[in-house]
Amino acid sequence: MSFKVSVTGYAQADQVAARAAFATAFKITPEKAAELLTVLPRTIKVDLDQATAQRYCDALLKMGLTSAAEPMQAAAAPSPVPPAAPAPVAQASPAPVMPAAVVAPEAEQPGFKFTIEGAPDFAFLTVKLPANHTIKVEASAMATMDTHIRMKTKLGGGLGRFITGESIFINEFSAEKVPGEIGIAPGAPGDLGHVYLNGDVIYLQNGAFVACDPDVTIESKWQGFKKGFFSGESFFLIRASGTGDLWFNTYGGMIAKDVDGEYVVDTGNIVAFTEGLNYSVEKFGGYKSLFFSGEGFVCRFRGKGRVWIQTRTSGALLTWAQQFRKAKSAD
Amino acid sequence: MKAEIRGSDAFSYVDLTLAPGDSVVAESDAMSSMSADLDLQARFNGGFFAGLLRKYLAGETLFVNVFKNNTKAPRSLTLVQPTPGGIRALELHNNTFYLQPGAYLASTEGLKLGVGFAGFVSWIAGEGLFRTVVKGSGTLWYGAYGALLDKEIDGEYIVDNSHLVAYEPGIKLRLQLAGGIFSSLFGGEGLVTRVSGKGRVVIQTRSLSGLTGWINPKLS
Repeated sequence: MSFKVSVTGYAQADQVAARAAFATAFKITPEKAAELLTVLPRTIKVDLDQATAQRYCDALLKMGLTSAAEPMQAAAAPSPVPPAAPAPVAQASPAPVMPAAVVAPEAEQPGFKFTIEGAPDFAFLTVKLPANHTIKVEASAMATMDTHIRMKTKLGGGLGRFITGESIFINEFSAEKVPGEIGIAPGAPGDLGHVYLNGDVIYLQNGAFVACDPDVTIESKWQGFKKGFFSGESFFLIRASGTGDLWFNTYGGMIAKDVDGEYVVDTGNIVAFTEGLNYSVEKFGGYKSLFFSGEGFVCRFRGKGRVWIQTRTSGALLTWAQQFRKAKSAD
Repeated sequence: MKAEIRGSDAFSYVDLTLAPGDSVVAESDAMSSMSADLDLQARFNGGFFAGLLRKYLAGETLFVNVFKNNTKAPRSLTLVQPTPGGIRALELHNNTFYLQPGAYLASTEGLKLGVGFAGFVSWIAGEGLFRTVVKGSGTLWYGAYGALLDKEIDGEYIVDNSHLVAYEPGIKLRLQLAGGIFSSLFGGEGLVTRVSGKGRVVIQTRSLSGLTGWINPKLS
């Protein structure tokens, strides 16, 4: 019988320390750990024998997390591990024993199997496509693929993408007859985010789109003149809706923030947000701060939902790099 | 000699400790810090003409620096590459390894570097007409923009232009369109490289063209 290990709660008051220990042990970023441990219980490992599962629980308790090892139902176990072949887990020092890649708990995730490598600096997405399945990918983001994968180029995303300098095309890659894999590299240096849409809607900053399931609809949405003008970003957002995986990228690192009430984000740092949030673009402070604080306009989110924030803005990069660019001679 | 690659994927560097008598060859400009009593000697990258070839054809520098520890105690040296990105070390035991232009960073004295004709396929693919051929026994350090990933090839695989960093001699490159004519023209993928054979390829998770494609629409 195989067991699964779930984190059920915090064994100590200091949740931040517990999450940090968890992040270190699993070799993931603190943001990712926080994201994983937001909704509890969270299954972190499946297909373990009982002794190994218990060792995981002990290790988690040392990090300040309570956990439970439960037998998996036969139907839920995708590939029951024969008891004759126990996982090669070392006995000593429980924390470093953990395998590195447990970030996406496969048993709970519907959708494509995928891995993200090189995060958070230069995150790279590898998606395993089942036979006869298709994935939509941002133009020119494909970096590697199996030779039998076919590419088709379609108009996608709407006119807004054209106006803001993105490609108006989206490529569709299909694994014909046999499963295949595709590696996807976004343009900007930074991290990758993933959500599985289940009939809900997510808005992405223009240019943050990386890839999605073909059942996810990507369209551009006019923000409204005031929001678009003052946000300093663009007049359009990408509206992603439907069912399936969605990947988006950031410039810089990524923070996922659950909002309940109000939260203020600098306009340039917004990557994505869920539909439950209303937002307005407003002046930050009085007119004095508008001119002197360097903040200018911010976005105030209201409601309940999640917003993804990038830790750098392209505008700041451009301002910083501008002084080193060669000046065109005026003639 | 002790060597360790430190830093994150974005800004890797090589932290070397040279034992007495050790020496290491590095691209000019690669040294970022060193013990004050290491001996430094600049020399042409494999001779004057070979150096010129390497500079203009393989994207390397005309000069290389040789760092030698002539003292009686261990001395330290740190090496960096010009682009943000990852660095890798590779041990060669009397075998050959191919690097794309610009990827070479440093090596131990036992390795010979040469410029090899990579074929017109590589050139049209935007990977350069020439490649750096590394031969011999020793340690090689190389790097590129982006994080570096290994991919074991057995059969065929497609790598987009400008994502290829290095490959083993068992690998052949061939050029093809990414899709049909329409897709290849408008899908932003254009030509891709079909790598075939058996061996390892190293890819970079970001490309310069991806960076410019992201930043250029924002520049006014």
